[in-house]
Amino acid sequence: MKKENKLWQTIKEGIEDTFFIWKEELKRVFQDSGVMIFFFLVPLAYPVLYAFIYNNEVAREAKMVVVDQSDSFLSREFIRRVNATPDVQIVGVCSDMEEAKKMVDEKKAYSILLFPSEFSKDLHTGKQTTVSLYCDMSALLFYKAFLLSATEVSLDLGKEFVARNNPASTEELQQITINPIPYESVTIFNTQNGFASFLVPAILILVIQQTLILGIGMLGGTARERNRFRSLVPINKHYVGTLRIVLGKSLTYIVLYGVVCLWTLAIVPRLFHLPQVGIPGTVLLFILPYLFACIFLSITLSGLMKSRESPMLVFVFSSVILLFISGISWPETAIPEFWRIVGYLFPSTPGIQGFVRISTSGATLNEVTHEYQTLWLQAGVYFITACLVYRKQIIRTRKLVSKQHRLMKQHLQQVRISS
Amino acid sequence: MNLKQDMHAIGAIARREVKRLVEKPIYFFCMLIAPAISVIFFISLMRQGLPTDLPIAVVDLDNSATSRNLIRQLDAFEQTAVVMQTLSFTEARQEMQRGKIYGIFYIPADFAVEASTGKQPRLSFYTNATYLIGASLLFRDMKTMSVLASAAVGLQTGMAQGYTNDQIMGQLQPIVVDTHAIGNPWLNYSVYLNNTIIPGILQLLIFLITVFSIGTEIKFSTSREWLQMGRHNLAVSLLGKLLPHTIIFTTVGFMICAVLYGYNSFPLNTGWLPMLTAMFLLVISSQAVGVFMIGVLPTLRLGLSFASLFGMLSFSIVGFSFPVQEMHPTLQALAQLFPLRHYFLIYVDQALNGRELFYTWTEYAWLLGFLILPVLIGRNLKDALMYFKYIP
Repeated sequence: MKKENKLWQTIKEGIEDTFFIWKEELKRVFQDSGVMIFFFLVPLAYPVLYAFIYNNEVAREAKMVVVDQSDSFLSREFIRRVNATPDVQIVGVCSDMEEAKKMVDEKKAYSILLFPSEFSKDLHTGKQTTVSLYCDMSALLFYKAFLLSATEVSLDLGKEFVARNNPASTEELQQITINPIPYESVTIFNTQNGFASFLVPAILILVIQQTLILGIGMLGGTARERNRFRSLVPINKHYVGTLRIVLGKSLTYIVLYGVVCLWTLAIVPRLFHLPQVGIPGTVLLFILPYLFACIFLSITLSGLMKSRESPMLVFVFSSVILLFISGISWPETAIPEFWRIVGYLFPSTPGIQGFVRISTSGATLNEVTHEYQTLWLQAGVYFITACLVYRKQIIRTRKLVSKQHRLMKQHLQQVRISS
Repeated sequence: MNLKQDMHAIGAIARREVKRLVEKPIYFFCMLIAPAISVIFFISLMRQGLPTDLPIAVVDLDNSATSRNLIRQLDAFEQTAVVMQTLSFTEARQEMQRGKIYGIFYIPADFAVEASTGKQPRLSFYTNATYLIGASLLFRDMKTMSVLASAAVGLQTGMAQGYTNDQIMGQLQPIVVDTHAIGNPWLNYSVYLNNTIIPGILQLLIFLITVFSIGTEIKFSTSREWLQMGRHNLAVSLLGKLLPHTIIFTTVGFMICAVLYGYNSFPLNTGWLPMLTAMFLLVISSQAVGVFMIGVLPTLRLGLSFASLFGMLSFSIVGFSFPVQEMHPTLQALAQLFPLRHYFLIYVDQALNGRELFYTWTEYAWLLGFLILPVLIGRNLKDALMYFKYIP
């Protein structure tokens, strides 16, 4: 009976302390302008900024200059059609390559389309003819626009030309000769091949992890700067148990990031028309372990932070690396084995993969099982490490306190003896 | 005499700074380890230049010798690997949602029969643009395959009718576009991305370290002592303090150039001098921007936050992935405020395209122009160093 009472007492105390720590931590977050920047300003402003940067989605005005040595009806028709494609804009027609090259050097154009003088003649004699396309490779999106537009026009125009010169008895027969096997290409998910739709969802997820690491790291660094013995835990009767500290703090961050996630993952995508074909419930279920994993990882890492500024110096540059390691821009299958394993240390890797597939490709939890399980596993592992970090700190503080206590006692005795 | 004293003060402050750099491991990490990690990561990540063997699924409802031949040929493309063959499109789509494949090639039932009897069977291919790079590479391969398939049939019919190869090609594809990717004919992504990403990381670290080293002087109230050593001349104090950084970062920058243009033999059309100069200017202009940041926000954590956010933003706004010309006009103007933007333009002109210096000198001038920033904020910074009380 008595033992049960004691257990009940401990649990009650534990819950009370957890909420006390929760309240304290909330206060500390709101008192610290540095932490506020990372918990609120960055998650609020950054996604908007990125969406704004990439909002045009695709290159629409890739500038092209033409050298038309053929100067024929067909070459002019070709030019007119390229200019009519949505992505390419013809900025001028030059008489020779020198002049065109100068325009490219001056960045007035980013590619040259060259028609040979025998362009029209070749076509009319039934020979294959070649149009040369020279591209500046500073922007791959431009290159893609030039190549696709020029190729499309060349295929269409070629077919029409052949059809006109070889009239067949019926329209259908004509089609069969010039186009024996038609094909169609379909872009599924992110149907406009948009740059924002491709990159911004990944950034949204990464921002959550990075700001948590920075913010919580900063709180840890501050605690070390303020507390006695440069310890993570203050000397306070509420801060006696590992579990209550870790849970109390985590509760604070979960509550705050619930709001942050609502903004970055629900409102921002809507504002900027990013693809959102995922079911909200699925997104929610998926984000939960992601937040847990990020928070516990951050608490673990905050144990290593000696001052409040060190997280920024150590972790900011890693964002670029983590974005590439996630396999969203550089295909996962092409990432070397070693880096793939390193990637699994961070929640952002499965987080980005899973979220993007749910939100852009309409996957259900079934299709992201691997990522989902990885996130829960990470959450579990980092919870344990977070507890270990605080356990060590508590023991260390206790030792130091009792050591000081002993020293003071000895000192008092010596004083007493000498007097 | 005055100059001699100044030189002396600069030397003394520089020696003091070197001592400070050695004492704190964080400097060692940010100045040497972090750039090294980044270089190793990005160079090894993209060592193939182009991702090879991207997985696709083939939905083959025909299952004839022709369709199997088509699949074999598709698999033989360097960028494409057929990892799955299925009869159900739904299954393939789910595999795509699982992230296991980036594309689907669809061959309809009776493809071979219809193709040879002139019934125009339609090939379809699907790419998942959620993964933009993978999708565009696969698009290229699958499109080529479809065109080739069409050509193969045409060639067969044409030959049967007794035309020559030239004549048939003149009919099948009268106009060919011959593409020349100037400077990067391999479409090497490592060339395309790493030439800007790695210097970008260096720029970020320079911002952070410059802000940190000055900010800690304020935080731990050693700034007066530092200014005293420079005989209360801010220029002298700053020069002395930042000189060791400049030397270290420039060395690191040159090492980066050595890795990019030496070890990897990336295009370097106008020789070493223009790029090494650009790298040196990137280092000092980034330092100048760093001084400006801590001058504007003399609290260490706020200054560092500014540096982090500005430094991270530069990767997007510089326009090496998404061209600046396609951004909002406000952003086009803003992009000028990032040293990396000008470094990128110099790289494009000089290393990638080998253009005359005439077209590029303004970018060098821009980089030099950043050196005015510390002068503009000097008063504010000096006040902060003298009187600012650090509020934790």
